[in-house]
Amino acid sequence: MNHVDIRVAPHDPWYKYGVAVLLFEMAVAIAVSGYSLYMTFNGLGGFPGKH
Amino acid sequence: MRSHKVEQLGIATVGFFWCFLMWFSTAAFSPSIAATYHLTIKDLGLLASSAIWMAPVGRIVAGWASDRFGAPRTFAAILAGCGLVSIASAFTTSYELLFAERVVVAIAGVSFVVGVQHVAQWFDAHEIGTAEGLYAGTGNVGAGVGALLLPRIFGADYRSAFLWLGMIALVVAAWYLWRGSAAKTMERRDAVRRGGDLRGMVFVWTRYIAIALMLAYAMSFGLEIALNAWLPGYFARGFHDEILALGFTGVAGIQIAAGTFAAVASFNASLFRPFAGFMSDLFQRKGWTPLPFIAKELSYAPRLHWLGISLILIMLSMIGLTVAGLYGFLPSSIAVLVALGIFVSFGTGGTFALVPLLFPDRPGIAAGFIGGISTVGGIAYPLIFASVKAHVGYLYVALYMFAPFILFYFWAARYERHPQEHGLLGRALTGQRS
Repeated sequence: MNHVDIRVAPHDPWYKYGVAVLLFEMAVAIAVSGYSLYMTFNGLGGFPGKH
Repeated sequence: MRSHKVEQLGIATVGFFWCFLMWFSTAAFSPSIAATYHLTIKDLGLLASSAIWMAPVGRIVAGWASDRFGAPRTFAAILAGCGLVSIASAFTTSYELLFAERVVVAIAGVSFVVGVQHVAQWFDAHEIGTAEGLYAGTGNVGAGVGALLLPRIFGADYRSAFLWLGMIALVVAAWYLWRGSAAKTMERRDAVRRGGDLRGMVFVWTRYIAIALMLAYAMSFGLEIALNAWLPGYFARGFHDEILALGFTGVAGIQIAAGTFAAVASFNASLFRPFAGFMSDLFQRKGWTPLPFIAKELSYAPRLHWLGISLILIMLSMIGLTVAGLYGFLPSSIAVLVALGIFVSFGTGGTFALVPLLFPDRPGIAAGFIGGISTVGGIAYPLIFASVKAHVGYLYVALYMFAPFILFYFWAARYERHPQEHGLLGRALTGQRS
């Protein structure tokens, strides 16, 4: 483990793509959760794998 | 060693994703297996629980092996071994043999700690939270993909699924061996290999901070797998009338609704995990140390504070789950449950953003200990939930288990210099240099 002063260490170029991926995953989680709960609370179905 | 760390992160994530897919493929096809072999409910319960039997001991061994032999060899061995047994299970006609083979395939779940070690060997301190979060969070999705897609692709033909999963596992194993590289530098690799002996294991297991992280992971991942098993039954019994009032009818309808609530919590716990690692990095970069008592001067102190906040949020949301349940208002229970799923991801992501920093010379052993023993929570919590009145079990676990765990975490994380030097045995007894 390389202990540089991390408060000033610049991020590598990969980092912004990593953050984009994690934001995408969060968006998927929110969208699937919202869709599933909407379906369930309206008695229409449930989580996509639970039909 | 000619490679790029993003390639290594990609290899580890794909390997973990595939292992998780194999790990949960048995559960995805349990109705088909039950129909083929005329299994009872008791048999099905045994088959479902067998998925985590190998995790505690298996993760400990896998973590040690990744330090000793390198992550690529260890990961490839797990993929190839589980893949071959998965292929064999596709041709099995005896249920007893199939059961034994699927228990062996479930060993694939231990690969988590191997990938944690692999990623730790390539990424530096300022980005380790996001890197470990992306690895673990994206890999975890394999379980969800298994539940969603496998039955849709293969229908009831579990034999073809097991065959294809096994064959592709062999391909991924070959890729891991071909392109995987154990560490960024030979110096880092040698330091970890030297630390991967029995004394190194005793040293890690006896450190207060390692025990505190293990309990933190038991509060998060242990709770996650416990809730996966517990919540469908809880909602079906505890909110039976409210679910019927939504328009669902019969046992199947109640199962759909109750299963959805459980799945949403689990889904959020997986997909928010990379964000939790990113938040650990952000705390570190900003130097935020808001909690009292916990160290503020350590080079990774802000990460300790982020994990402390996560653990408090988990405990509070468990209490909230009991309160919402006692009021009997389903939407508020679901709102608390969604929050709990997200806070669980904060705990899992926050824990493994710290492990490689606390034990840089033994990341595999530490990951094996923390990631292995904590899975016992998946067995313990449902037993407590079931032993008390509905809704109250969460409060009991929060007050009698999580509160002491958090106090111990605060106590173990208070040292301003080298918290890993403090433990049950002195450094001399564990054979460590000062």
